[in-house]
Amino acid sequence: MIVWLLLLAVSRAPTTHTVEIRGMEFHPAALTVVAGDTIVWINRDIVPHTATATGRTKWDTGQLSQGQVGRYVARGAGVVRYACTLHPTMHGKLVIR
Amino acid sequence: MSHSGHRLFPLPLALAFVFTTVLHAQNPTPAPAAAPDLSDPEVAHVAVTANSIDIDAAKFAQTRTQNPAVKQFAATMITDHTAVNAQAAALATKLGVTPADNAVSQSLESGAKQAHAALEPLHGAAFDRAYMEREVGYHQAVLDAIDKLLIPTTENAELRKLLVDVRPAIATHLEHAKQLKAQLSPPARAGR
Repeated sequence: MIVWLLLLAVSRAPTTHTVEIRGMEFHPAALTVVAGDTIVWINRDIVPHTATATGRTKWDTGQLSQGQVGRYVARGAGVVRYACTLHPTMHGKLVIR
Repeated sequence: MSHSGHRLFPLPLALAFVFTTVLHAQNPTPAPAAAPDLSDPEVAHVAVTANSIDIDAAKFAQTRTQNPAVKQFAATMITDHTAVNAQAAALATKLGVTPADNAVSQSLESGAKQAHAALEPLHGAAFDRAYMEREVGYHQAVLDAIDKLLIPTTENAELRKLLVDVRPAIATHLEHAKQLKAQLSPPARAGR
């Protein structure tokens, strides 16, 4: 029982992180998460945006209108870069541990 | 703001001319420059007109370009400026404001017609370069207008906030257009 409780305490519950899209930027632009965590993007801008992986791992929130949210559950470890497909000057980065 | 290279596309020049003219007309003394006296319904009309002009230009570009990046840029212009106009329309309804036509809007429309006429005969890479050059000039002029004319002259706080909120999108469009323009190959030189 004690061992089980210790394991429970040591193991980390998945966390949800929020990235705000406002002023045509991702805030924060770089985010460190743990595999299994959920990242939520919420678009505060008038114009639509996406958060779309640009590396080998493929994921895409799809087009988010103002007030809409998109989610991604982080898989594997490493650095994942993403961008807005509508606005190629907008970039973000996830560091997954 | 540099206007070099915009000889074929008078819209940015027209915008700058209008704004400069209006500024001077309202300010007989050279300094300090104050915002011209556009009413809020006129500001709303200018904003909607400016968005609609870029939507129309993008729709035309989509029928003409074969370049995927230019096509995507045009799609983004349609998406974004449509979203802004929807927001502007919703705000106008909420405020009970009817956008009012004015000299600046009319000049924008006139400039857009000239710009379209300049683009009409072009095809292929020549069209892509000309369209992107036009988009760089147009967004720079709109950005300047937002900063120097529209925001300073707007009295209603919500309308002013809309303009402030839209500004980063215009700046991003400008940067996007500049990058795309730089990526397009330069015109072939005679004798090559």
